[in-house]
Amino acid sequence: MLLVVGAVSYRGIVVSSESDRWVGHNHKVLENLRDVLSVVETIESSGRGFVFTGRESYLASYRGAILSAERDERSLRDLTVDNPEQQRQILVLEGLTAQKIQLGDMVIRLRRTQSLEAAADAVANGPGQQVMDEFREVVGKMQDEELRLLALRDAEAKRRLSQTKTVLIFGTVLGLLIAAAAGWSVQRGRGLADEALRESEERYRLLLDGVQNYAIFMMDPRGQILSWNAGAERIKGYTADQIIGHNFSRFFPPEDIKRGRPEEVLRLTAASGRHEEQGMRVRKDGSRFLASLAFTALRDQAGNLRGFSEFSHDLSESKESGAKYRGLLEAAPDAMVVVNQGGEIVLLNVQAEKQFGYRRDELVGQKVTNIIPEGFAERLIADGTRTAAEALAQQIGTGIELVGRRKDGSEFPIEIMLSPLESSEGILVTAAIRDISVRKNAEKHLAQMEGRYRGLLEAAPDAMVVVNQGGEIVLLNVQAEKQFGYRRDELVGQKVTNIIPEGFAERLIADGTRTAAEALAQQIGTGIELVGRRKDGSEFPIEIMLSPLESSEGILVTAAVRDISVRKKSEEHLVKTVEELKRSNDELQQFAYVSSHDLQEPLRMVASYTQLLAKRYQGRLDADADEFIAFAVDGCNRMQGLIQDLLAYSRAGANGKVLREISGEDALQEALTNLRATISESGAVVTHDSLPAIKTDDTQLAQVFQNLVGNAIKYRSAEIPHVHVSAAKNGGSEWIFSVRDNGLGIDPQYFERIFILFQRLHGRDEFKGTGIGLAICKKIVERLGGRIWLESQPGKGSTFHFALPERDEKRDEK
Amino acid sequence: MMKSIGTDAEPLEVLLVEDSPGDVRLTQEAFKDAKVHINLHVASDGIEAMAFLKREGGQANAPRPDLILLDLNLPRKDGREVLQEIKENPALTSIPVVVLTTSASEEDILRSYRLHANCYITKPVGLDGFLKVVNSIDNFWLSVVKLPHETRL
Repeated sequence: MLLVVGAVSYRGIVVSSESDRWVGHNHKVLENLRDVLSVVETIESSGRGFVFTGRESYLASYRGAILSAERDERSLRDLTVDNPEQQRQILVLEGLTAQKIQLGDMVIRLRRTQSLEAAADAVANGPGQQVMDEFREVVGKMQDEELRLLALRDAEAKRRLSQTKTVLIFGTVLGLLIAAAAGWSVQRGRGLADEALRESEERYRLLLDGVQNYAIFMMDPRGQILSWNAGAERIKGYTADQIIGHNFSRFFPPEDIKRGRPEEVLRLTAASGRHEEQGMRVRKDGSRFLASLAFTALRDQAGNLRGFSEFSHDLSESKESGAKYRGLLEAAPDAMVVVNQGGEIVLLNVQAEKQFGYRRDELVGQKVTNIIPEGFAERLIADGTRTAAEALAQQIGTGIELVGRRKDGSEFPIEIMLSPLESSEGILVTAAIRDISVRKNAEKHLAQMEGRYRGLLEAAPDAMVVVNQGGEIVLLNVQAEKQFGYRRDELVGQKVTNIIPEGFAERLIADGTRTAAEALAQQIGTGIELVGRRKDGSEFPIEIMLSPLESSEGILVTAAVRDISVRKKSEEHLVKTVEELKRSNDELQQFAYVSSHDLQEPLRMVASYTQLLAKRYQGRLDADADEFIAFAVDGCNRMQGLIQDLLAYSRAGANGKVLREISGEDALQEALTNLRATISESGAVVTHDSLPAIKTDDTQLAQVFQNLVGNAIKYRSAEIPHVHVSAAKNGGSEWIFSVRDNGLGIDPQYFERIFILFQRLHGRDEFKGTGIGLAICKKIVERLGGRIWLESQPGKGSTFHFALPERDEKRDEK
Repeated sequence: MMKSIGTDAEPLEVLLVEDSPGDVRLTQEAFKDAKVHINLHVASDGIEAMAFLKREGGQANAPRPDLILLDLNLPRKDGREVLQEIKENPALTSIPVVVLTTSASEEDILRSYRLHANCYITKPVGLDGFLKVVNSIDNFWLSVVKLPHETRL
């Protein structure tokens, strides 16, 4: 009995020890490669982690990863010592690793000694990504090399061991290893499929130990069952207790028993030492299945027949060699479906049943299009330009996203990874099928959200940045890229403080007294003026408007960011201009006042002393002297007049007194009082209609009346001067005051000139005056927001009008 | 016309604080026609004026003026400061101060009266005006008004 087990095991061991050694070796190299890649990725990610967070914990894993990388690369070198190509690649790997570490050290130093920005910039713009890509490429090449060797060894093993059924086990193992490895190579870096590999390895061992898929048991020479393995229990349906001691004939269908087939099998086996057949067998529950069976006669050293062994498996589990995969398939975390070149499902695992909602027997033998309607079967089929193997080869190692259909007709997104499997039926395809609903949903949600807001964002004239509660940029538009000078991918996921260093992130954060939502609510709809920072470090003034955006990630904040450089500049410019204008105006006013005042002093001296001369020496010098002195005195007098008027002009409107309501009548009366002497001397008659109250400052309206009425009397004709003052409201909101006289009248060609400072139409000997009266009127009226003009013709009198805006509607002329 | 203080034997002391020699001379000329005998003392800036009043800096023999004619715009020490110092000084505060200046600004006028100037006169532009003003001062302050006669302390 022991001998039988021994013999069976022996075959297994002989076969396994040779292949297993190589397979194990390849596997180890692959595993090692994966480790190397993983630690170098850790170097990269932990270095980056430190840069962006400043947490020391990242540095610990950074240093740890460097040590691991050295160790792993050393062991990789040892493992591939027999392969010069791999040795060469390892040198490249080591060089790239050194570069990676150097870059990592540099950005860490930058982060410590300079700033996050400097370090982040080095990360973003340095060659780190390129080095990493090269590293991955080299690792990929080395993996391909190992896979190639693995495939070679698999083929070799198959060829040598094809004589015995047991070899199938190893073919399966290798096949699955290849499948897993291929799947893994796709997923390298993701670290998911290698999980499957590890598990399959475990299964592999279990398989060799327990031989789950084969019924292996021993019988005595009469066919009474002596031992029972797990495989036998599974295939035949009996537990060891139920069957040991019973005759193996009960596995045969009744008709076979009737015709003595069990006995015949034993006889044949005893005769030749070995008998193989395929035949129908019956399980404990009465169901039948097609089995492949090998019987061996067990003899002791003396040659006596001691019993038989049966080594069998259930062919119906797969039409032919399917059973060999079963245990391995079940171990896979994903749904696994094995499909032949006809697109028919040969084999599937429990996960596949669950995922698609079918029972196994509902799918085996069916077209794979039942569960993957499109995109899978097509990939397996040869066409004019390529063989089936080539067609498949193109797909190997690629994750293909397709749609799966459940029994209930519902569909779900899947990702499948294909690997080839040579079999006597031709190339079979193992497909690892992963339900990616969750991932897809997440992607879809994101895409939806993006889609929904992207259009909106891109349409916005402002830079738009969407930020999460962590202060990280989730989304941004083209304008934002332009404004800040970054590419989109340089900003997404980064802290918003990179582009708006202050005042924004703080506004999103909850504190003791308010929640984040409240903090945000306080800012909504308010334009906040902050400073933006471009990639090149330059800063510019911005205004941001925040609005909340509920999402599955919590409340996001959309910030419309407007570059207000131009506005700021023009605002500043305006303020500056106004200031400058005011200053120059003030200066001018000051200048006019000071100069006229200061001029007055020396003039007073000149005037006083020429007058003193005139007084003391009139008639005591000669006639010429008297005349000269008279001219000097006259000149001084006129100059004093000019200077005084200039002072008056510069004062007009100079002091911005508060405007208050002044009765037009009062103002006119004040003017007439001042003109009392002139009026009585000339015998002028001044009449007026009722006049409205006007908002003005105290004395200015009276001043205007005084100048206009004074002029009307001064420039009189031969007639008794008659002056009439009236007021009327024009269609708009102005009061128009008019001062009409019967004086000399003015030629229209002088209408503009008379309002200009010191412009006169008459000689001094005709009329006294400096030509400042109307200039002062114009200045006052315009300062009150009005205008002044006249109607006149020489010889027909003049009417001066001035319009003042009405500021109080309630008042009217009555 | 009564002579309140001044007699022929005892002239009136007037301090003219004025930096413009032209104005000084004009004032002197105008006082020539004065009804009373006037000793016109001239200080050409505020420092000099205060020294005269306090009899400092070699002016120990300076008389106490009966009237001060004070210009506002002065070098070194401004007339406004001089006015303030006089009016804050118990020994001087009783001396009438006539502000005689070219400034016609409201601010100067108000400020001077707040500092207790006794009157404020804007220098007229013409000679006649000026003569009239000085004449008025002579008439009013030196003839009509009773001035305090404080003994020199």
